[in-house]
Amino acid sequence: MNMLEISHISKKFAEKEVLRDVNFAVPEHAVYGFVGQNGAGKTTTMKLILGLLPAGSGEIFVNGEKVSFGENPANCSIGYLPDVPEFYPYMTAAEYLNFCGAITGMEGQDCRKRTEELLELVGLGVEKHRIKGFSRGMKQRLGIAQALLNRPKLLICDEPTSALDPLGRKEILDILVSVREQTTVLFSTHILSDVERICEQFAFLHEGRILRQGSMEELRKSCGEAGFEIELEQRQEAEKLMEYFPGGILQDRTSVYYEPGSGQKMEGVLAWVVENGIRIRKAEQRGLTLETLFMEVIGR
Amino acid sequence: MKTGIAFWKKEWMDLVRSGKAVLLLLIASLFGIMNPAIAKLTPWLMETMSESLQETGLHMTEVTVDAMTSWVQFYKNMPMELIIIVLLLGGIFTQEYQKGTLVMVLTKGLKRRSVYLAKTFMCALAWSVCFWLSFFITWLYNDYFWNNGIAKHLITTAALFWLFGLWIFFLLVFFSAIAKETTGVLAGTGIILLISYIAGMFPKIQEYLPTKLLEAQTLLTESAVPGDFYKAIAVVLLLNIAAVLTGMILFDKKNI
Repeated sequence: MNMLEISHISKKFAEKEVLRDVNFAVPEHAVYGFVGQNGAGKTTTMKLILGLLPAGSGEIFVNGEKVSFGENPANCSIGYLPDVPEFYPYMTAAEYLNFCGAITGMEGQDCRKRTEELLELVGLGVEKHRIKGFSRGMKQRLGIAQALLNRPKLLICDEPTSALDPLGRKEILDILVSVREQTTVLFSTHILSDVERICEQFAFLHEGRILRQGSMEELRKSCGEAGFEIELEQRQEAEKLMEYFPGGILQDRTSVYYEPGSGQKMEGVLAWVVENGIRIRKAEQRGLTLETLFMEVIGR
Repeated sequence: MKTGIAFWKKEWMDLVRSGKAVLLLLIASLFGIMNPAIAKLTPWLMETMSESLQETGLHMTEVTVDAMTSWVQFYKNMPMELIIIVLLLGGIFTQEYQKGTLVMVLTKGLKRRSVYLAKTFMCALAWSVCFWLSFFITWLYNDYFWNNGIAKHLITTAALFWLFGLWIFFLLVFFSAIAKETTGVLAGTGIILLISYIAGMFPKIQEYLPTKLLEAQTLLTESAVPGDFYKAIAVVLLLNIAAVLTGMILFDKKNI
């Protein structure tokens, strides 16, 4: 079953088309990476899912319930973590979570118990100060706690790590990994290493369009073969290899790299090297990283 | 309902912890004390000024003050108190738009109309507490120094001015559902008030206008009777209901 289905969504701001026929689905319990550059339309998509903006056309379903602009009943199944979450500075973390519990209709005792659990989970269990004194990382952790408070079926994280230092990023990613069994996560970001670390499936959004989507394996297949590197003993041998198998790039004098799409196959090159009695120092297939895949897909 | 009350409690906490509640109470108390104080000090002021006035050829006669002097002062000062409270509460929505705090709350499934009603109630409560506190303090001092009995229709007069203030706050919340910044909210409220004043130049419609309620102090001297204000009261009540209903619809469709 799909927890989130986005079907033929388009959105314009004045004359500018921000989203163009966007389609993708997030299966239940997946951690889904929603990848795109700044300005690609990620936050607009999130706001459409949350019913904070009206869509130009198309439909969105969360847990089978249709999303509507304004009053959005589907929000009861959603937890939302923005890039820079803003809280009421005069409250403590526990007061804020209790307030969120009350407005979502949670019962008093359940709410207090859940608040304690979540503050413990995000490492704010002992924090008694008001939110106005919190660091950005602490606010982000509290943001996760409030997003998970009502046990949401879908957790939407809009660039939750973009404003954090490496340690803060690691903390947030660790928390997201720890909750993946309880909820479905839609993780929007432009930081590819973060998304590669915790997501199983991805959608690439570029200039308002979904260019590719699927698992890492599926994305690799759709982008063709991986590149490979052959390192030989001598430079003359490397040059000879490049002459016989054109399209290679000479690296570090004795190493030749063939990019994906160079037209050469690793098996063929290796067979020729062995036949000619050339000694090989190293032969390595370079896997496509999410970054290289993304760059290739958007044509950079 | 339960979720609306939870949001209203948050509004209350905001008012208390931001220090606005204390500030409002201080302002209301100050305005309450100011009226009898000015009335009480007027003879002394006149006496100290009489010498210099005599030099210019003006002769002072003895000034007598009573509760009416203080009540007249009260209705002269109340618009200023109203403006101060409007300025203090003008950002009740817009500050949340700018900080993004409302987004977090709305994405938790809280109904937008609960937010609208909670904030309307908060403004109405703040205005009511401040106005009646000022009124009570003035009444208390007036009764101690003089006799409140000489002022007629005291409660009715106060209620009419309070109703006028309430209309201003309903307008403020209404414009908060449209405008994104406090200046827009204040400008919208100010423009409607101005229109009401200008329309008051036409005698035929004058008695239907909300600004008619500002003439309520004529009741104190029985220059008018409560019946003269019934039409304005009905219009203000209808306008308040219309402001809440249309404001909620507009807020439902606002891009946040």
